[in-house]
Amino acid sequence: MAAGTAVRPERSAASPPAGSLGPARSRRTNGAFLLLALVLAPSAGQAAESTVPVRVRIIKGSRQGPPSMDPKLRDLEAQLGRLAYQRWEEVGEHSRSVAFKKPVDFPLPDGSVLTLTLEDARKDTVTFQVGVPARRTRSRLTISKDQRIVHQVTDEKDGAAYFASVRPWP
Amino acid sequence: MSGPGCTRFAPMLSARPGELPAEEERALHAHLEGCGACRARLADERALDGLVARALLEEAARVDFAPFVDQVMARVERPRGLRGMLALVARHKVAAAATALAPALAALGIILYVSRGPEVVPQVGDVEVVSEGRGPVVLSTEAGPVVLLGDPTGPEGT
Repeated sequence: MAAGTAVRPERSAASPPAGSLGPARSRRTNGAFLLLALVLAPSAGQAAESTVPVRVRIIKGSRQGPPSMDPKLRDLEAQLGRLAYQRWEEVGEHSRSVAFKKPVDFPLPDGSVLTLTLEDARKDTVTFQVGVPARRTRSRLTISKDQRIVHQVTDEKDGAAYFASVRPWP
Repeated sequence: MSGPGCTRFAPMLSARPGELPAEEERALHAHLEGCGACRARLADERALDGLVARALLEEAARVDFAPFVDQVMARVERPRGLRGMLALVARHKVAAAATALAPALAALGIILYVSRGPEVVPQVGDVEVVSEGRGPVVLSTEAGPVVLLGDPTGPEGT
């Protein structure tokens, strides 16, 4: 070694390189992430069910003419049969994924819209808000996964009215 | 050394006053009165003692001990008041940050807990219909609810 040459001690293999996180810093970073996870954890369960596939059918009910039921509406017979209309036909169908708390509009035959919002989704139940702004009506309904919502969406005119059925996880 | 007496009294020449027993001191004085060699040796011893003492005193005087106490106290005493607190925070940044953050996090947790309130779990069959200027009707069936808008001229209902 030449006289006067300064000797810098070698960095040990175990110590981190300059600029990188040391063990203590790394522990603090992990702690911060853990804290963040704990704060956000309550909303994570809800986010897991944040999107629900939905089938919306638009149905026309008429009081006039011979009684009939569109074969595509057989699964709704228990609900539609309770009403005073005797002819039922499906006039439209939409399948969409509805995101949590994000309203989705579905067009109606009279030019207005049906607004569907997923309010809550759990293991066996789902809660929707069904809005018909043109009729200034808003409904909040909780159903089980095997149930359907039937909602009138237009006023009766000339003995006929339109309905919408909402089926989650079709 | 000129005689056997000198050999006996030589170690006593360097004794300090009062160090020798009185009997030996008297014997030493009696010997010194009659022995020129020992008197000369005693004179040498005393001269050497004086030189060493003086040299040590001079050496000690060259060192300035005046700031010694101040330096020690500066290392022992820590600054007090706001400056002391700031110095403490500067030395323990992580601990200070954690200490300051802990109450804030606790308060945030309490606020979140209180603002959420008790969770209301929706039940199958829960229905809430709000309609302006209508009397909505809800039919409950096993297959699900049926909501009728009602007569637009009818009573307003929820």
